[in-house]
Amino acid sequence: MIEIRNIGLWYRKGQKILDNVSATVGEGSTVVICGPSGSGKSSLLRCINGLETFQEGEILVNGISVQNPNTNIYRLRANIGMVFQHFELYPHMTVTENITLAPMHVLKISKTRARQKAMELLERVGIADQAAKYPGQLSGGQQQRVAIARGLAMEPALMLFDEPTSALDPEMIQEVLEVMVDLARDGMTMVVVTHEMGFAREVADEIIFMDHGRIVEKGNVQTFFNHPENERTQQFLARILR
Amino acid sequence: MDWAVITDNMGYMLGGLGLTFQMTLIALSGGMFLGCFLAMGRLSSKKWVYYPASAYVHFFRSQPLILVIFWLYFLAPVFVGRPLGAFYSTMIAFVFFEASYFSEIIRGGIQSVPKGQVMAAQATGLGFFTIQRYVVLPQALGNMAPALITRAIVIFQDTSLAYVVGLREFLRRVNLVDTREVRSVELYCFAAVVYFVICTLGSLFADHLERKREASKA
Repeated sequence: MIEIRNIGLWYRKGQKILDNVSATVGEGSTVVICGPSGSGKSSLLRCINGLETFQEGEILVNGISVQNPNTNIYRLRANIGMVFQHFELYPHMTVTENITLAPMHVLKISKTRARQKAMELLERVGIADQAAKYPGQLSGGQQQRVAIARGLAMEPALMLFDEPTSALDPEMIQEVLEVMVDLARDGMTMVVVTHEMGFAREVADEIIFMDHGRIVEKGNVQTFFNHPENERTQQFLARILR
Repeated sequence: MDWAVITDNMGYMLGGLGLTFQMTLIALSGGMFLGCFLAMGRLSSKKWVYYPASAYVHFFRSQPLILVIFWLYFLAPVFVGRPLGAFYSTMIAFVFFEASYFSEIIRGGIQSVPKGQVMAAQATGLGFFTIQRYVVLPQALGNMAPALITRAIVIFQDTSLAYVVGLREFLRRVNLVDTREVRSVELYCFAAVVYFVICTLGSLFADHLERKREASKA
Protein backbone atom coordinates (compact mmCIF):
# COMPACT_ATOMS: atom_id res chain seq x y z
CA MET A 1 0.00 0.00 0.00
CA ILE A 2 2.82 2.43 0.85
CA GLU A 3 6.12 2.12 -0.92
CA ILE A 4 8.85 4.39 0.42
CA ARG A 5 11.92 4.37 -1.81
CA ASN A 6 15.21 5.96 -0.77
CA ILE A 7 13.76 9.16 0.64
CA GLY A 8 16.12 12.03 1.33
CA LEU A 9 14.87 15.20 3.02
CA TRP A 10 16.77 18.22 4.22
CA TYR A 11 16.08 21.81 5.12
CA ARG A 12 17.98 24.75 3.78
CA LYS A 13 20.98 24.59 6.08
CA GLY A 14 22.04 21.28 4.64
CA GLN A 15 21.26 19.19 7.66
CA LYS A 16 19.66 15.93 6.58
CA ILE A 17 16.38 15.12 8.27
CA LEU A 18 15.85 11.89 6.37
CA ASP A 19 18.63 9.95 4.75
CA ASN A 20 17.99 7.12 2.31
CA VAL A 21 14.87 5.86 4.04
CA SER A 22 13.05 2.91 2.49
CA ALA A 23 10.09 0.98 3.84
CA THR A 24 6.98 -0.85 2.74
CA VAL A 25 3.62 -0.91 4.45
CA GLY A 26 1.33 -3.67 3.31
CA GLU A 27 -2.43 -3.36 3.07
CA GLY A 28 -4.12 -3.90 6.42
CA SER A 29 -0.88 -3.93 8.35
CA THR A 30 0.19 -1.75 11.25
CA VAL A 31 3.69 -0.34 11.26
CA VAL A 32 5.05 1.34 14.37
CA ILE A 33 7.89 3.85 14.04
CA CYS A 34 9.89 4.74 17.13
CA GLY A 35 13.14 6.43 17.91
CA PRO A 36 14.56 9.39 19.83
CA SER A 37 13.19 12.88 19.18
CA GLY A 38 14.69 14.53 16.14
CA SER A 39 15.23 11.21 14.42
CA GLY A 40 12.91 12.13 11.54
CA LYS A 41 9.89 9.99 12.45
CA SER A 42 7.33 12.76 12.15
CA SER A 43 8.93 14.15 9.02
CA LEU A 44 8.72 10.74 7.38
CA LEU A 45 5.03 10.56 8.26
CA ARG A 46 4.42 13.99 6.74
CA CYS A 47 6.20 12.96 3.56
CA ILE A 48 3.64 10.21 3.06
CA ASN A 49 0.72 12.63 2.62
CA GLY A 50 2.73 15.40 1.01
CA LEU A 51 2.75 17.80 3.96
CA GLU A 52 6.52 17.74 3.69
CA THR A 53 8.46 18.04 0.44
CA PHE A 54 11.39 15.68 0.11
CA GLN A 55 14.29 16.09 -2.29
CA GLU A 56 15.26 12.52 -3.07
CA GLY A 57 13.50 9.28 -3.72
CA GLU A 58 9.86 8.46 -4.23
CA ILE A 59 6.83 7.53 -2.18
CA LEU A 60 3.98 5.57 -3.71
CA VAL A 61 0.62 5.31 -1.99
CA ASN A 62 -1.56 2.71 -3.73
CA GLY A 63 0.74 3.04 -6.70
CA ILE A 64 0.34 6.82 -6.90
CA SER A 65 3.51 8.88 -6.57
CA VAL A 66 3.00 11.49 -3.85
CA GLN A 67 5.30 14.09 -5.36
CA ASN A 68 4.51 13.60 -9.01
CA PRO A 69 3.27 16.98 -10.27
CA ASN A 70 0.42 15.21 -12.06
CA THR A 71 -0.83 13.69 -8.83
CA ASN A 72 -3.95 15.27 -7.38
CA ILE A 73 -2.53 15.72 -3.89
CA TYR A 74 -5.93 16.73 -2.45
CA ARG A 75 -7.55 13.50 -3.60
CA LEU A 76 -4.60 11.53 -2.29
CA ARG A 77 -4.75 13.22 1.12
CA ALA A 78 -8.49 12.61 1.30
CA ASN A 79 -7.62 8.93 1.27
CA ILE A 80 -5.07 9.24 4.09
CA GLY A 81 -6.24 10.11 7.59
CA MET A 82 -3.85 11.80 9.97
CA VAL A 83 -3.85 12.26 13.73
CA PHE A 84 -1.49 14.73 15.41
CA GLN A 85 0.23 14.92 18.76
CA HIS A 86 -1.65 18.07 19.76
CA PHE A 87 -4.99 16.99 18.25
CA GLU A 88 -5.28 20.17 16.12
CA LEU A 89 -9.04 20.29 16.34
CA TYR A 90 -10.72 23.49 15.16
CA PRO A 91 -11.60 25.24 18.44
CA HIS A 92 -14.37 27.42 16.98
CA MET A 93 -16.36 24.44 15.71
CA THR A 94 -18.32 21.83 17.62
CA VAL A 95 -17.12 18.25 17.71
CA THR A 96 -19.61 17.36 14.97
CA GLU A 97 -18.56 20.30 12.79
CA ASN A 98 -14.92 19.32 13.19
CA ILE A 99 -15.74 15.91 11.81
CA THR A 100 -18.12 16.95 9.01
CA LEU A 101 -16.03 19.78 7.50
CA ALA A 102 -13.88 17.69 5.18
CA PRO A 103 -16.55 15.15 4.13
CA MET A 104 -18.84 18.01 3.15
CA HIS A 105 -16.26 20.03 1.25
CA VAL A 106 -13.98 17.37 -0.16
CA LEU A 107 -16.31 14.43 -0.71
CA LYS A 108 -19.27 16.80 -1.28
CA ILE A 109 -21.66 14.69 0.75
CA SER A 110 -24.76 16.33 2.20
CA LYS A 111 -24.81 17.85 5.67
CA THR A 112 -27.37 15.33 6.89
CA ARG A 113 -25.34 12.37 5.66
CA ALA A 114 -22.12 13.85 7.06
CA ARG A 115 -23.71 14.36 10.48
CA GLN A 116 -25.08 10.85 10.47
CA LYS A 117 -21.67 9.50 9.66
CA ALA A 118 -20.07 11.68 12.36
CA MET A 119 -22.44 10.28 14.99
CA GLU A 120 -21.59 6.72 13.97
CA LEU A 121 -17.91 7.48 14.30
CA LEU A 122 -18.31 9.22 17.65
CA GLU A 123 -20.20 6.15 18.79
CA ARG A 124 -17.31 4.03 17.60
CA VAL A 125 -14.72 6.06 19.55
CA GLY A 126 -17.06 6.12 22.56
CA ILE A 127 -17.95 9.80 22.90
CA ALA A 128 -21.28 10.20 21.09
CA ASP A 129 -22.56 12.20 24.07
CA GLN A 130 -20.00 14.97 23.38
CA ALA A 131 -21.11 15.69 19.81
CA ALA A 132 -22.46 19.19 20.47
CA LYS A 133 -19.56 20.38 22.64
CA TYR A 134 -16.54 22.42 21.63
CA PRO A 135 -13.06 20.88 21.76
CA GLY A 136 -12.07 23.16 24.64
CA GLN A 137 -14.73 21.52 26.81
CA LEU A 138 -13.29 18.04 26.36
CA SER A 139 -10.43 16.23 28.04
CA GLY A 140 -7.27 15.55 26.06
CA GLY A 141 -8.19 11.91 25.57
CA GLN A 142 -11.63 12.85 24.29
CA GLN A 143 -10.15 15.46 21.95
CA GLN A 144 -7.78 12.94 20.48
CA ARG A 145 -10.63 10.52 19.90
CA VAL A 146 -12.51 13.28 18.09
CA ALA A 147 -9.40 13.81 15.97
CA ILE A 148 -9.36 10.12 15.12
CA ALA A 149 -13.05 10.28 14.19
CA ARG A 150 -12.29 13.31 12.02
CA GLY A 151 -9.66 11.31 10.16
CA LEU A 152 -11.95 8.30 9.78
CA ALA A 153 -14.80 10.44 8.45
CA MET A 154 -13.07 10.58 5.09
CA GLU A 155 -13.15 6.77 4.98
CA PRO A 156 -9.43 6.66 4.30
CA ALA A 157 -7.56 3.60 3.17
CA LEU A 158 -4.73 4.49 5.49
CA MET A 159 -4.26 6.26 8.82
CA LEU A 160 -1.14 8.08 10.01
CA PHE A 161 -0.64 8.72 13.72
CA ASP A 162 2.00 11.20 14.84
CA GLU A 163 2.70 10.56 18.53
CA PRO A 164 -1.02 10.48 19.30
CA THR A 165 -0.61 9.93 23.03
CA SER A 166 2.51 12.00 23.78
CA ALA A 167 0.58 15.08 24.83
CA LEU A 168 -1.90 13.20 27.01
CA ASP A 169 -2.08 12.79 30.74
CA PRO A 170 -1.16 9.21 31.66
CA GLU A 171 -4.69 8.23 32.65
CA MET A 172 -6.01 9.18 29.21
CA ILE A 173 -3.51 7.31 27.10
CA GLN A 174 -5.33 4.01 27.39
CA GLU A 175 -8.66 5.23 26.04
CA VAL A 176 -6.94 6.50 22.88
CA LEU A 177 -4.82 3.40 22.44
CA GLU A 178 -7.91 1.21 22.75
CA VAL A 179 -9.51 3.01 19.83
CA MET A 180 -6.34 2.52 17.81
CA VAL A 181 -6.08 -1.16 18.71
CA ASP A 182 -9.68 -1.65 17.57
CA LEU A 183 -8.86 0.09 14.30
CA ALA A 184 -5.82 -2.08 13.72
CA ARG A 185 -7.82 -5.25 14.44
CA ASP A 186 -10.51 -4.09 12.00
CA GLY A 187 -7.89 -4.21 9.30
CA MET A 188 -7.07 -0.52 8.89
CA THR A 189 -3.66 0.15 7.38
CA MET A 190 -1.81 2.22 9.96
CA VAL A 191 1.53 3.92 10.38
CA VAL A 192 2.00 4.97 13.98
CA VAL A 193 4.80 7.06 15.41
CA THR A 194 4.74 6.27 19.10
CA HIS A 195 6.76 5.28 22.12
CA GLU A 196 3.94 3.14 23.48
CA MET A 197 5.71 -0.18 23.28
CA GLY A 198 2.71 -1.97 24.81
CA PHE A 199 0.68 -0.89 21.81
CA ALA A 200 3.44 -1.97 19.47
CA ARG A 201 3.62 -5.41 21.04
CA GLU A 202 -0.13 -5.81 20.75
CA VAL A 203 -0.80 -4.86 17.15
CA ALA A 204 2.35 -4.00 15.22
CA ASP A 205 3.17 -6.16 12.23
CA GLU A 206 6.45 -4.39 11.90
CA ILE A 207 8.46 -2.02 14.07
CA ILE A 208 10.87 0.49 12.60
CA PHE A 209 13.51 2.16 14.71
CA MET A 210 14.93 5.44 13.44
CA ASP A 211 17.92 7.47 14.52
CA HIS A 212 19.43 10.57 12.91
CA GLY A 213 17.19 10.36 9.88
CA ARG A 214 17.97 6.74 9.10
CA ILE A 215 16.19 3.47 9.67
CA VAL A 216 18.59 1.53 11.84
CA GLU A 217 16.39 -1.42 12.69
CA LYS A 218 13.33 -3.03 11.20
CA GLY A 219 11.59 -6.17 12.27
CA ASN A 220 8.52 -7.92 13.61
CA VAL A 221 7.57 -7.68 17.28
CA GLN A 222 9.45 -10.86 18.18
CA THR A 223 12.81 -9.98 16.73
CA PHE A 224 12.56 -6.29 17.59
CA PHE A 225 12.00 -6.73 21.30
CA ASN A 226 13.90 -9.94 21.88
CA HIS A 227 16.84 -9.75 19.51
CA PRO A 228 17.50 -6.16 18.50
CA GLU A 229 20.69 -6.13 16.45
CA ASN A 230 21.63 -2.49 16.47
CA GLU A 231 23.34 -1.02 19.48
CA ARG A 232 21.26 2.15 19.44
CA THR A 233 18.05 0.15 19.39
CA GLN A 234 19.25 -1.82 22.36
CA GLN A 235 20.06 1.37 24.27
CA PHE A 236 16.72 2.90 23.34
CA LEU A 237 14.74 -0.16 24.36
CA ALA A 238 16.66 -0.47 27.60
CA ARG A 239 15.68 3.10 28.47
CA ILE A 240 12.09 2.94 27.35
CA LEU A 241 11.21 -0.51 28.73
CA ARG A 242 12.79 0.05 32.12
CA MET B 1 -22.26 82.62 21.22
CA ASP B 2 -25.40 81.71 19.42
CA TRP B 3 -26.17 78.03 19.66
CA ALA B 4 -29.39 78.40 17.75
CA VAL B 5 -27.33 78.08 14.58
CA ILE B 6 -26.88 74.43 15.47
CA THR B 7 -30.50 73.59 16.21
CA ASP B 8 -31.61 75.49 13.12
CA ASN B 9 -29.32 73.49 10.84
CA MET B 10 -29.30 70.23 12.79
CA GLY B 11 -31.27 68.25 10.24
CA TYR B 12 -29.15 69.33 7.33
CA MET B 13 -25.84 68.67 9.09
CA LEU B 14 -26.75 65.32 10.62
CA GLY B 15 -28.11 64.34 7.23
CA GLY B 16 -24.48 64.32 6.14
CA LEU B 17 -23.81 61.55 8.63
CA GLY B 18 -25.75 59.25 6.32
CA LEU B 19 -23.13 59.71 3.65
CA THR B 20 -20.35 59.52 6.25
CA PHE B 21 -21.60 56.18 7.51
CA GLN B 22 -22.20 54.90 4.00
CA MET B 23 -18.61 55.73 3.04
CA THR B 24 -17.27 54.19 6.23
CA LEU B 25 -19.20 51.00 5.57
CA ILE B 26 -18.06 50.69 1.96
CA ALA B 27 -14.43 51.47 2.83
CA LEU B 28 -14.58 48.98 5.68
CA SER B 29 -16.14 46.06 3.83
CA GLY B 30 -14.31 46.67 0.54
CA GLY B 31 -11.02 47.25 2.34
CA MET B 32 -11.39 44.10 4.39
CA PHE B 33 -12.34 41.99 1.40
CA LEU B 34 -9.37 43.12 -0.66
CA GLY B 35 -7.24 43.09 2.50
CA CYS B 36 -7.98 39.38 3.05
CA PHE B 37 -6.45 38.51 -0.31
CA LEU B 38 -3.48 40.83 0.24
CA ALA B 39 -2.88 39.25 3.64
CA MET B 40 -2.92 35.76 2.11
CA GLY B 41 -0.50 37.04 -0.53
CA ARG B 42 1.78 38.48 2.13
CA LEU B 43 1.82 35.09 3.86
CA SER B 44 2.39 33.12 0.67
CA SER B 45 5.60 31.23 0.16
CA LYS B 46 5.24 31.77 -3.59
CA LYS B 47 7.47 34.70 -4.52
CA TRP B 48 5.31 35.83 -7.44
CA VAL B 49 2.39 36.20 -5.02
CA TYR B 50 4.32 37.55 -2.05
CA TYR B 51 6.21 40.37 -3.78
CA PRO B 52 3.33 42.06 -5.61
CA ALA B 53 1.15 41.90 -2.48
CA SER B 54 3.96 43.33 -0.35
CA ALA B 55 4.73 46.05 -2.87
CA TYR B 56 1.06 47.04 -2.91
CA VAL B 57 0.85 47.25 0.86
CA HIS B 58 4.08 49.20 1.25
CA PHE B 59 3.14 51.60 -1.52
CA PHE B 60 -0.26 52.54 -0.16
CA ARG B 61 1.00 52.76 3.40
CA SER B 62 3.58 55.29 2.23
CA GLN B 63 0.97 57.60 0.67
CA PRO B 64 -1.24 60.16 2.35
CA LEU B 65 -4.89 59.23 1.94
CA ILE B 66 -5.75 62.61 0.52
CA LEU B 67 -3.29 62.07 -2.31
CA VAL B 68 -4.84 58.73 -3.17
CA ILE B 69 -8.24 60.41 -3.28
CA PHE B 70 -6.85 63.06 -5.66
CA TRP B 71 -5.20 60.41 -7.75
CA LEU B 72 -8.35 58.50 -8.40
CA TYR B 73 -10.43 61.61 -8.91
CA PHE B 74 -8.15 63.27 -11.43
CA LEU B 75 -6.27 60.37 -12.97
CA ALA B 76 -8.88 57.64 -13.15
CA PRO B 77 -10.63 59.39 -16.08
CA VAL B 78 -7.34 59.31 -17.96
CA PHE B 79 -7.20 55.53 -17.68
CA VAL B 80 -10.90 54.69 -17.77
CA GLY B 81 -11.77 57.23 -20.44
CA ARG B 82 -14.56 58.92 -18.51
CA PRO B 83 -14.96 60.56 -15.08
CA LEU B 84 -16.03 58.18 -12.35
CA GLY B 85 -17.74 60.85 -10.32
CA ALA B 86 -16.66 62.10 -6.93
CA PHE B 87 -18.39 59.41 -4.91
CA TYR B 88 -17.15 56.37 -6.84
CA SER B 89 -13.61 57.61 -7.26
CA THR B 90 -13.42 58.42 -3.55
CA MET B 91 -14.78 55.04 -2.54
CA ILE B 92 -12.31 53.25 -4.78
CA ALA B 93 -9.53 55.32 -3.25
CA PHE B 94 -10.68 54.40 0.24
CA VAL B 95 -10.95 50.70 -0.56
CA PHE B 96 -7.50 50.60 -2.19
CA PHE B 97 -5.95 52.59 0.62
CA GLU B 98 -7.60 50.85 3.56
CA ALA B 99 -6.96 47.40 2.08
CA SER B 100 -3.26 47.94 2.75
CA TYR B 101 -3.93 48.63 6.44
CA PHE B 102 -6.45 45.82 6.79
CA SER B 103 -4.10 43.37 5.16
CA GLU B 104 -1.59 43.92 7.96
CA ILE B 105 -4.25 43.52 10.65
CA ILE B 106 -5.61 40.40 8.95
CA ARG B 107 -2.11 39.01 8.46
CA GLY B 108 -1.56 39.25 12.21
CA GLY B 109 -4.90 37.56 12.79
CA ILE B 110 -4.09 34.73 10.40
CA GLN B 111 -0.72 34.21 12.06
CA SER B 112 -2.46 33.93 15.42
CA VAL B 113 -4.13 30.70 14.23
CA PRO B 114 -1.88 27.72 15.04
CA LYS B 115 -0.22 26.22 11.95
CA GLY B 116 -1.01 22.73 13.15
CA GLN B 117 -4.70 23.31 12.47
CA VAL B 118 -3.93 24.27 8.89
CA MET B 119 -1.85 21.13 8.54
CA ALA B 120 -4.65 19.02 10.00
CA ALA B 121 -7.09 20.57 7.54
CA GLN B 122 -4.67 19.96 4.64
CA ALA B 123 -4.31 16.36 5.74
CA THR B 124 -8.04 15.83 5.25
CA GLY B 125 -7.72 16.94 1.62
CA LEU B 126 -9.17 20.43 1.98
CA GLY B 127 -7.87 23.08 -0.43
CA PHE B 128 -6.32 26.43 0.40
CA PHE B 129 -9.39 28.63 0.09
CA THR B 130 -11.69 26.23 1.93
CA ILE B 131 -9.20 26.09 4.79
CA GLN B 132 -8.98 29.88 4.91
CA ARG B 133 -12.73 30.26 4.73
CA TYR B 134 -13.72 27.72 7.39
CA VAL B 135 -10.70 27.19 9.62
CA VAL B 136 -8.40 30.20 9.57
CA LEU B 137 -10.43 33.35 8.92
CA PRO B 138 -13.25 32.72 11.44
CA GLN B 139 -10.68 32.40 14.21
CA ALA B 140 -8.48 35.18 12.84
CA LEU B 141 -11.47 37.55 12.67
CA GLY B 142 -12.27 36.93 16.32
CA ASN B 143 -8.67 37.62 17.31
CA MET B 144 -8.43 40.82 15.33
CA ALA B 145 -11.88 42.28 16.00
CA PRO B 146 -10.60 44.98 18.40
CA ALA B 147 -7.94 46.10 15.90
CA LEU B 148 -10.52 46.14 13.10
CA ILE B 149 -12.88 48.33 15.09
CA THR B 150 -10.07 50.74 15.93
CA ARG B 151 -9.32 50.97 12.21
CA ALA B 152 -13.02 51.47 11.46
CA ILE B 153 -13.01 54.46 13.79
CA VAL B 154 -10.05 55.94 11.92
CA ILE B 155 -11.88 55.41 8.61
CA PHE B 156 -14.96 57.09 10.04
CA GLN B 157 -12.88 60.17 10.82
CA ASP B 158 -10.99 60.04 7.53
CA THR B 159 -14.17 60.14 5.46
CA SER B 160 -14.11 63.89 6.15
CA LEU B 161 -11.25 64.10 3.64
CA ALA B 162 -13.79 63.46 0.90
CA TYR B 163 -14.64 67.16 1.06
CA VAL B 164 -11.65 67.80 -1.23
CA VAL B 165 -13.57 66.36 -4.17
CA GLY B 166 -16.80 68.02 -3.10
CA LEU B 167 -18.68 65.24 -1.34
CA ARG B 168 -21.14 66.62 1.17
CA GLU B 169 -20.57 64.35 4.12
CA PHE B 170 -21.07 65.50 7.68
CA LEU B 171 -18.07 67.79 8.16
CA ARG B 172 -18.49 69.35 4.72
CA ARG B 173 -22.09 70.23 5.56
CA VAL B 174 -21.03 71.82 8.85
CA ASN B 175 -18.48 73.75 6.84
CA LEU B 176 -21.13 74.87 4.34
CA VAL B 177 -23.40 76.09 7.13
CA ASP B 178 -20.45 78.02 8.51
CA THR B 179 -19.76 79.81 5.23
CA ARG B 180 -23.37 80.96 5.23
CA GLU B 181 -23.89 81.71 8.93
CA VAL B 182 -20.30 82.55 9.98
CA ARG B 183 -20.55 80.85 13.34
CA SER B 184 -17.31 78.89 13.33
CA VAL B 185 -16.85 78.38 17.07
CA GLU B 186 -20.31 76.95 17.71
CA LEU B 187 -20.40 74.86 14.57
CA TYR B 188 -16.99 73.27 14.91
CA CYS B 189 -17.60 72.61 18.60
CA PHE B 190 -20.74 70.80 17.55
CA ALA B 191 -18.83 68.80 14.93
CA ALA B 192 -16.22 67.85 17.52
CA VAL B 193 -18.91 66.64 19.92
CA VAL B 194 -20.57 64.50 17.23
CA TYR B 195 -17.26 62.84 16.26
CA PHE B 196 -16.37 62.40 19.91
CA VAL B 197 -19.63 60.69 20.80
CA ILE B 198 -19.63 58.31 17.84
CA CYS B 199 -15.97 57.35 18.15
CA THR B 200 -16.27 56.87 21.90
CA LEU B 201 -19.16 54.49 21.35
CA GLY B 202 -17.00 52.60 18.87
CA SER B 203 -14.09 52.39 21.31
CA LEU B 204 -16.35 51.16 24.07
CA PHE B 205 -17.64 48.47 21.75
CA ALA B 206 -14.06 47.42 20.95
CA ASP B 207 -13.24 47.29 24.68
CA HIS B 208 -16.34 45.24 25.29
CA LEU B 209 -15.32 42.71 22.60
CA GLU B 210 -11.80 42.56 23.99
CA ARG B 211 -13.07 41.82 27.49
CA LYS B 212 -15.45 39.18 26.16
CA ARG B 213 -12.54 37.51 24.37
CA GLU B 214 -10.40 37.56 27.49
CA ALA B 215 -13.27 36.06 29.46
CA SER B 216 -13.92 33.30 26.93
CA LYS B 217 -10.23 32.38 26.97
CA ALA B 218 -10.11 31.98 30.74
